[in-house]
Amino acid sequence: MTQNTLTHSELTVAEIAPFADAAVRAIPPVWPLASSVAVNPYLGQAGLDLATTAALLARVSDAPATMARGWYRERIGNGSITDGDLAAALAACTLSPCPASVAELKLAAQRPVVRKDPLPTIADLAARVSGIDWPAIIAERMGHWIAGWSDEGQALWAAPQGKSAFRAWQDVATHDLTPEIAGLKGFARFVADAPDSAGDALAASAARLGLPGSAMPTYFHALLMTLGGWAQVGRYRLWQAELAGQQDSTLTDLLAIRLMWEDALLAQYRGPILEAWQDVVATHSAPVAPDADQIIDAILQEAAERAGQRAIGETLAAGSKAATARQPALQAAFCIDVRSEVFRRSLEALDPEIQTLGFAGFFGLGASHRRFASDVREHRLPVLLNPKLTTCSGGVELEDVDRAARYRSRAKRAWGRFKLAAVSSFAFVEAAGPVYLGKLIRDTFALKKTSLPNDPMPRPDPALSLADKVDAATAVLRAMSLTKDFAPLVLLVGHGANVVNNPHASGLHCGACGGYSGEVNARLLASLLNDPAVRGGLAGNGIIVPATTLFLAGLHDTTTDDVLIYDGDHPSPAHAIAIDQARGWLASAGLVARGERALRLPRAANASDVAKRSRDWAEIRPEWALAGCKAFIAAPRYRTSGKSLEGRAFLHDYQWQQDEGFGVLELIMTAPVVVASWISLQYYGSSVAPHVFGGGNKLIHNVTGGIGVVEGNGGMLRAGLPLQSVHDGNDLVHEPLRLSVCIEAPVEAMTAIIEKHEGVRALFDNRWLHLFALNDQGELAWRYIGNLQWERVDGHGQAMIERNLAA
Amino acid sequence: MDIALALTIGITAFTGLGGIALLAGDRHARLTGRALEAGLLACLGLAIAALAQLISAGPATTELLVWQHLGLSVRLDAVSLPVTILVAFVGWVVLRYSRTYLGDEPRRALFKAWLSFTLASVLLFALSGNLLQLVLFWIATSLCLHKLLLFYPDRAAARRAAHKKYITARIADGALVGSAILLFWAYGTGDIATILDAARGGESGAAIRFAVFGLALAAVIKSAQFPLHGWLTEVMEAPTPVSALLHAGVINAGGFLLIRFADVLLLSPAIMAGLVMIGGFTAVFGGLVMLTQPAVKTSLAWSTVAQMGFMIMQCGLALFPLAMLHIIAHSLYKAHSFLASGGAVDRIAALRRPGPVAIPGAKAVTGAFLAALAIYVAIGFAFRFQDSSPQSIALGAILIFGIAYLLAQGLAGAAPVPLMRRMVAYSLAASLGYFALHHLADALLLGPLPATPAPGPLEWVLMILAVVSFGLVAVAQSMFPLWAYHPAAAGLRVHLSNGLYANALFDRMLGGWTLKRSR
Repeated sequence: MTQNTLTHSELTVAEIAPFADAAVRAIPPVWPLASSVAVNPYLGQAGLDLATTAALLARVSDAPATMARGWYRERIGNGSITDGDLAAALAACTLSPCPASVAELKLAAQRPVVRKDPLPTIADLAARVSGIDWPAIIAERMGHWIAGWSDEGQALWAAPQGKSAFRAWQDVATHDLTPEIAGLKGFARFVADAPDSAGDALAASAARLGLPGSAMPTYFHALLMTLGGWAQVGRYRLWQAELAGQQDSTLTDLLAIRLMWEDALLAQYRGPILEAWQDVVATHSAPVAPDADQIIDAILQEAAERAGQRAIGETLAAGSKAATARQPALQAAFCIDVRSEVFRRSLEALDPEIQTLGFAGFFGLGASHRRFASDVREHRLPVLLNPKLTTCSGGVELEDVDRAARYRSRAKRAWGRFKLAAVSSFAFVEAAGPVYLGKLIRDTFALKKTSLPNDPMPRPDPALSLADKVDAATAVLRAMSLTKDFAPLVLLVGHGANVVNNPHASGLHCGACGGYSGEVNARLLASLLNDPAVRGGLAGNGIIVPATTLFLAGLHDTTTDDVLIYDGDHPSPAHAIAIDQARGWLASAGLVARGERALRLPRAANASDVAKRSRDWAEIRPEWALAGCKAFIAAPRYRTSGKSLEGRAFLHDYQWQQDEGFGVLELIMTAPVVVASWISLQYYGSSVAPHVFGGGNKLIHNVTGGIGVVEGNGGMLRAGLPLQSVHDGNDLVHEPLRLSVCIEAPVEAMTAIIEKHEGVRALFDNRWLHLFALNDQGELAWRYIGNLQWERVDGHGQAMIERNLAA
Repeated sequence: MDIALALTIGITAFTGLGGIALLAGDRHARLTGRALEAGLLACLGLAIAALAQLISAGPATTELLVWQHLGLSVRLDAVSLPVTILVAFVGWVVLRYSRTYLGDEPRRALFKAWLSFTLASVLLFALSGNLLQLVLFWIATSLCLHKLLLFYPDRAAARRAAHKKYITARIADGALVGSAILLFWAYGTGDIATILDAARGGESGAAIRFAVFGLALAAVIKSAQFPLHGWLTEVMEAPTPVSALLHAGVINAGGFLLIRFADVLLLSPAIMAGLVMIGGFTAVFGGLVMLTQPAVKTSLAWSTVAQMGFMIMQCGLALFPLAMLHIIAHSLYKAHSFLASGGAVDRIAALRRPGPVAIPGAKAVTGAFLAALAIYVAIGFAFRFQDSSPQSIALGAILIFGIAYLLAQGLAGAAPVPLMRRMVAYSLAASLGYFALHHLADALLLGPLPATPAPGPLEWVLMILAVVSFGLVAVAQSMFPLWAYHPAAAGLRVHLSNGLYANALFDRMLGGWTLKRSR
């Protein structure tokens, strides 16, 4: 009888399930790199404020939730954060202990904070007493197995899928001798004897660990955090399953597996670590509450954001042109993406007859698309939604071309297998190795031309009924606030990046199009809007599109700022001159935009250097993508036109006066705003906690399974933005500020929408997003302060009157 | 000026530029980086000029600093120059790549400096005309590379891999130093050309056999052969250009050593047979492990283990010109594959688009093997089969099994006719390319390199064993999906995906998972 016994409070499988589920939902998903989109790493903490999130993350990982104190100190020192910002942030603090005064806050900012280690797992405790790096061994083993199990096609001999993740792992772990070689005695036997279901295994191990229910939420969360991006892959599977109305247990399986490692290690090192383990359990049982330092950090972060909001306020307050009544010669709708802002500004500056609009880049058409000569369905829409239509490129008339293209790809694929297979790989090297001399030269000098996607025209398959087409067209035009004053030529411009040899290429594409380039959705909408029958239906709905108006799709190459126009989709000799003129304008705008971007990019002296980056196989910073994003503005374009927003603002066109019932406002606040929050918070997380929420160092990335990257040899998958996407080698290029959403709409309407949508409310109430209402001069007028309350602010975002002025 | 001297001065100046880059630091890295690229390009030019001289004037050794037959001298011949040109070219590609890749990385000047030192060492190693120089730059290469492998010294995995590499490299150093001493003692000179001349047609003896053993051991370790391959499959912890350089430049040192001393090697048929066994096993083993690897760079590393095994087997079979061809072809392929490994996401996404893979059945596989053999015989006679050594014919048979895999995919029942036509064309092109290159290698290198001796009984057994085992693996590979997912194969897959645990045992022996005592 040992004197150290764990208090047994055995919980049943059903009692543990909710705790496991809560831990699973604390983990953000990660999309595979072939179609990756930005994900809010704090998705599971949307219901917590920043300081409490910091406290939680400090317990379960070593992810800080804010920048180091020095970062704020520097900004206070150089005056970019003013005393006013500090005072306002302090006043907004509802937690305690809170510094008593701005002076005290500034004093605290001078103090460096020593971050505490996260609570140890049993693996950490076992490592301390044995001198064997158990956490690293578990990371290596788990990574080795999950990488093989979730491989999308790198290995020719793929890992068996098993009935579930848990069963697949059991099959592997009962054969794998590595843990025992490393010193974990009898692990394969332990796995073989474990229950067949993950739930039972979880309950059995939890009981042996003496884990009370109160300790489970954060302990389970901590275990999942040790799996890094692999846990996020599991969460992604759950996300996709739930979107399709199904269930998926991968991540709870991973939790059970990780807990079994803990169980086996406790059994082996029970004597020396039991006492420490009991302390850990007790600490996990205590509620999560922020300490004084975490609260101060959160206030400093808020102050930095208020400083940023002053700048936004000043830009908005600067005199703006009134709406031009003139009939435009060219209208061009771009994605709300911050990279469009630079291009739109450059384009508009060329001629007053050019008008641009901003709208979510999937143009409201959520398509499940098959590209030309492909069987694979690509979901080209925001990942929050299910596709509404199925489409494909090319019609029956291109069947022969389609088949021939498939033969070419299949032959190439067979050659690829010849290259990799055992035995034949030797023949390959001796027969074709010297060919790579040419390839090395070609790629060193970037001689291979890259091209933007240009499949045959996409079409809905099956075709849509006229009523559906008209409904879709009406909804999109209304949502774009484009219902009158059509120009003779209207461009619908999606965007995509143009890079080579970049595992994170899809992250540079259009997030609203599910991590693909946006031309398919734009071309679909152009076809819809050029359909004479649809135009008739639109007229019936009060939207009169002149017969002389032509819609054409385009693709904005965000790496080179070229725009490809798909004018072959809708040949119209009558518009030839207008199209030529538009091309000229786009080319000029591209030159200006490249010049502006060259200033920010390292190793780019001028505009022509920018284009070269897209073909350079060694380039790891082809473009800065959305780095720097800090504002989301939904207002008529004339509020911002002619003002530089430095490529840091999402611009959504919105005219509330035309929005009966505020349906469009609701759409904006629940879809594009949420997507923008994911982007902003991904940049935030990758900047403040690069080692946990960042994608790691591109120089040592190793693409695994075609779905993600690991650093170096293996181990944990790295989700989030790579270091090189937020950092230029000397400094962060992304200023980690949570997004400020500025909407020109009545506060009552916004309050009603926030009240209706709990998820959106959580984001605003906990200030993962800041919300401002603009007045009828387009200046900041109201700040949302949470709990459905607003406070009056001046044009700089500073509080004017006492708060609690309910709207 | 003598071209050998010019080349030496070029490489020395290049090393000097590396030193300047190191001292000038990141602030001037753009300038010093360009200077290094230009310097290496100049070395490449000089090496090509030396090749021209070799063709016109024949091989030569230029003594630079030699005392008592030991010292530094440059050997320009058909073994040293191809490898020198290869390394200078790949090195230049890697330097050029690093210019952009590490363009904003802190400590980039240090990186490029050590990259240059490593390259200079490999070049001087390849050009060695004297045992002393050979040993010196063999060791220097490994030490310089160590610096690069630890470019991120805070990464525990990097330290673990570099430590493993360090230990194995020192064993190889010991073996090479030992055999150099024995060779010097046996032949009374450190001049490599003199040793080779003496060995050609000379007598064997205990000292020489031990020397050959040392050479073979050093080569086997450097080429990451089973069971000491662990260091190679784990050194993806340094920036990608280092992997490209390692897998396309440094890894060849082992094979180069065997080819360099081919005449001496032939004095010990037993050790040659050992090389066939180790190389052949590693080739099959590495090839099978590679099939299970989900990460692109890891898969490439296992591929290198297998390819080096094949090359070692070629050396063991005394097919030295082919081994040289393999080194060059593999280096070009592997350098490109590493540098382009970021494209893996796109490549894998493209795999599924055109529809399912047509899986060949037993009939298609049989047909493919027969067709491949027919191609072999037809092309073989065109390239004068009857003059070839049995070893060369056996090797050709092994390679043709690979072609059969290509054909099998076209002959699969579900494969449409146009696809089949394409695959047949690919197979013919690959066979022709392969035979043409073999022929070329033989034509250029036989003479400078010894001809393959007639096989004895042991060689015959090994050849048959090799052909049969490679053949079996090739058949298994062709019918892969039909058996690999059978539950009975699940355990085998687990063991293979872990490289039969050789590395885990090695880690355990070296205490690879031990925490640093810093707590």
